[in-house]
Formats: sequence, structure tokens, C-alpha cells
Amino acid sequence: MKDLVKFGALAIVLLTALLLAVVAGDYGPWYFAWLVGTTMIVLIAVSSAVLFETQEANSLAAHKEPVR
Amino acid sequence: MIDPTVVNLSRLQFALTALYHFQFVPLTLGLSFILAAMETVYVITGKQIYKDMTLFWGKLFGINFAIGVATGLTMEFEFGTNWSMYSHFVGDVFGTPLAIEGLMAFFMESTFVGLMFFGWDRLSKPAHLAVTYIVALASNLSALWILIANGFMQDPAGARFDPTTMRMQFKSFSALVFSPDAQAKFVHTSIAGYVSGAMFVMGISAYYLLRKQHREFAARSFRIAALFGLISTLAVVTLGDALGRMDDLLQPTKLAAMEGLWHSAKGPAAPWKLFALPDDAKQRDAFSIGIPYVLTPLVAHEWNTTIPGIYALERAAKAKTVSGIKAIIALKSFGASHDPAALAAFRKHENDMGYGFLAQRYAPDQNLSAITPALLPAVLAKTARASIPNVFVEFWSFRIMVGLGVAFIVVFAFGAYYSLKNELEKHPLVMKAAMLAIPLPILACEFGWVTAENGRQPWTVYGWLPTFQSASSHGIGYMIFSLVGFVLLYSLFIAAELYLMFKYARLGPGEHAVQPKPLPVPARPVFGQPGYANKPWQ
Repeated sequence: MKDLVKFGALAIVLLTALLLAVVAGDYGPWYFAWLVGTTMIVLIAVSSAVLFETQEANSLAAHKEPVR
Repeated sequence: MIDPTVVNLSRLQFALTALYHFQFVPLTLGLSFILAAMETVYVITGKQIYKDMTLFWGKLFGINFAIGVATGLTMEFEFGTNWSMYSHFVGDVFGTPLAIEGLMAFFMESTFVGLMFFGWDRLSKPAHLAVTYIVALASNLSALWILIANGFMQDPAGARFDPTTMRMQFKSFSALVFSPDAQAKFVHTSIAGYVSGAMFVMGISAYYLLRKQHREFAARSFRIAALFGLISTLAVVTLGDALGRMDDLLQPTKLAAMEGLWHSAKGPAAPWKLFALPDDAKQRDAFSIGIPYVLTPLVAHEWNTTIPGIYALERAAKAKTVSGIKAIIALKSFGASHDPAALAAFRKHENDMGYGFLAQRYAPDQNLSAITPALLPAVLAKTARASIPNVFVEFWSFRIMVGLGVAFIVVFAFGAYYSLKNELEKHPLVMKAAMLAIPLPILACEFGWVTAENGRQPWTVYGWLPTFQSASSHGIGYMIFSLVGFVLLYSLFIAAELYLMFKYARLGPGEHAVQPKPLPVPARPVFGQPGYANKPWQ
């Protein structure tokens, strides 16, 4: 039952996102660009931090100076 | 007619309060999403340092947010107090996005910002992360509705003048919301905020790294901000280009003033003026240096288009003024008699009505019917000249904004490159540049607003309502009194903001990263505990 509720909630999120994409894409191309662009900017910033941790871990493993 | 000094003082007051308010807005827009990114890393990796980063930068966000809200409220009142004619004319349309901003975005933002600050020990990690994202989204939605309202002033889509009520009436809500100008303006402004937030975080982190303080914290913050800022700056440039294209189509006088175009530019060899000293009085450049083959593709995205210059736009304004004068005379006639023929005459010239209003300033006793054939050429020439914004201010505010934007790309690119190569501390010059650049994105935003609003002149609603007819009929003494009051009060605010920002930035994350002991969670709601009714403060 819990999985079904979770599935239903995620399906609603997906449908809302699709609806938003269709409406924004048709009528508000720059709004759509903002949604996609902001998501991308945040994800790139997050990825850069995750990369930082990987680099730091590699440096420590190789007994080098930690990442700065 | 409203005293021109009162109009100018009203403009000065609004410009000062708006520019003052916008010192805080970009940081709120940008920092909120940077906090969301930092907290996302905390939730993904589970590393405490990312929570400390979210808490520290969140504290600076909170200081900025509080003063930003306080200064934003006064502007909404100013529409009523200082711009009552404007509010009467477009209140039905303009008030709608402002009301939605207050009821939806601002309430959402204010509610969730409390949860963001005080919910760390009350919410699960994913729930708190969701709250942080909601705060970021709501902050930007707040900006969205304000910029939709501003977009209406630049391009009055979704409304039509009603000669019976003598006001602009709503025709299409979706046309207002999806107006191309509002869309491009929102994205450009919002992402300019991301650039400001990123430079703020990067600059303060560079300060710590240069002083060899909080290095683990600062190196990570620098990395996130550099990448966030680099992509954002590239996006701002893209949107700036879109806005320029929009101005070419919707506000040709603004575009001509931005580019200092006195004569129409025929592609493809038309030069783009890199440097010029426009002389508004003589309507020519005292000096200019241009780069050929740049202007037309830059503005029109084509090679062979002609971009109208100020002389051509003044000629077009004269024709519109003749039509506008007919519209106003017909409107007066309809108001007095409700004659369908007068209404039909008004409808024929309706789209040029604003130019009729503009010409009233130069008509004998402001009565357009009193313009004789002998006076008409002088009235047309003065109205056409008045329809052009101040070219010197427009040209240079635009160039300073663009120049700063280019400089940001360089600072972020070097910052991101050396951070990714783990060589940041070997290049103190990059860190010093980042530190010195902290206030510059906010300055660029301010010049962006000067470009947008000076370029809209002489209109409050482009092509429909002149600025000189929009103000309230206050006395000069009242305007000076309120202006001095605002300057004194806002000077105190900025002193408080700078004191708190410098204080907490200098203290650094060490003093903030320590988490207070979590409060014991009561076994049952506090309201139900014995003695609560007598000692609610416990």
C-alpha cells in the first residue's frame, strides 16, 4: 500500500511536470528556459561539490596535498 | 497640470527607493538557490561541512532577506501616494500581479523561510531540503510577479483602454503573464540575482582562503559558487540579448538610445558604438568609436535589417502625435456627449492616444483643441523630441552593465578553472579579483534597472500614459520632506545591513557551525504539558 501511494505521488509529480513543460513550452518559452536552466545551474553546482569530494578523497589516498 | 518639480521629485523618490531595494533583491534570489545546492550536497553525501555551509550562508541570507522585505514594502505604497494618477489609470491591470505577489509568493516565502531557519531539528533531511527549495522558488516567484507588473509598463499586453471608465481594463490575464517582455525580463533579472549571490559567496570564500582561514569550508564554497556563477553569467548574457531583441521590436526609442543611434543604421556594415559621448541637446555625438559589422547582427540577428535611429523615430512620433491629438479630442467629445460617432473616431486613433496626452504639455493651456495650424508644427516637434529618452544616461548605463557582465565571465571562468584544477591557492590574484568583485554584480543590476526605466521614458506605460501625467498632485514641501525621510531611514538600514554582513562574514563559519543542543522533543505537544496555560513562555 505504501509503495502504491509513493507511486501515485510520483506519478502526479511527473504529470504536473509534463503539463508545466507543455504549457510553459508553448506559451512561455523563456519561463520554460528558466525552469530548465535553474535546474541545470543547481545540478552543475551540486556536481562540482561532489567532484570536489572525489578529488579530495583521491588526493588523500595518494598522500598528496588536499584539494583547495 | 501637475507641477513638473513634483513629478521630478516623485521620480527621484521612486528611483532612490527602487534602486535601494534592489541592493538586497539579487542576493536573495541568488543565495536562496545556492543554499539549496549546498543542502542538496549535504543530503547526498551526509557530510556535516555542507550543513555548516548552508547554515553560515543562510545566516547572511537571513540578514539580507529581512532588510530586503522592509525596503520593498514602501514601494508598493508609493504607487498609491506618489503615483495616484497612474494607479487610477492602470490599477485594475497593474494591481493584479502585485496582489498575487503578496498573496502567493510573499506569503509562501515568509512562511517557509521560518521553517528553513528553525526547522533543522524538527524536520527530516529531505523535508528540510524541500523547504529550502520552496524558499528559493518562492523568492523567485515573488520577483516573477513584480516583473510581470513591470513588463506591463514596458509593453502593455493584455489590457485595453475603456473610454467609458477612462481606465485601462483587463482583456487577457494570460497575455499579461506570458508577455514576451515580462518573460525575458524575469529570467534576465532572476539569473542576474544568481550571479550576485555566486559572486558574494565566491568573494567571501576568497577572503577566507587569502587569510588561510576556514580553508575546508571556503574551498568548497568557492567551488560551488564559481560553477554556479559561471553558468549563470552565460545565461544572463543570453537573456540580455533576448531583451535587446525585444526592445528592437517593442521599444525602438529605448533601443536607439541604448545604442546611441541618431541616424538609422543600415546593415550589415553599421558600426556598434564601443565608446561615445552623446550630446542630447544637440542630438549628435561629441565623439564616438564604433566597430563595423557588429550592430545589425547583434540587435536584429540578421545582416540586412535597418535599425531606426532617433531622427527617424521622431518623424514617426510626429505622425503618431497628429493621430493621438485626434484621439484625445474624440475622447473628450465622447465623454461629454456619448456620441457613437465620437467613439468611432476615438477607436480609429486609439493606439496613438498616448502621444495625444504627451502633446497636451505643449498645447496652449494644455487644450489640444486650441492648437492652431500655425502652432501645430512647434507642438509636433516638441512632442517628438519629448518622446525620446535621455540618450547619454541610456547609452552609458547600458554599457556599464554589459562591461561588468563581461568582467564577471572572466572572474568566474578563472575561479572555476583553478578551483577544478585544485590550484586556487597558487593564484591569489584570482581570489583578490573575486573579493573585490563582490559588490559589482549588484551595481550591474542597478545599471540594468536604470537602462530599463530611463529607456521607458517619457512614459510610465509605454506609448499610453506619459510620466508627467502619472504623478500625484502633492506640494513640493511634502515631496522634499518624504524624500529626506526616506534617505535618512534607508541610510540607517544600509548601515545596519553592512554592519551585520561585515560582522558575521568576518566571524566566519566557525562561530556558526556549532549547532546548539537540540531541544528535547516533548513526549506530547507542548500545549498539552502541565502548567503550559500558566507559563506559555516555557
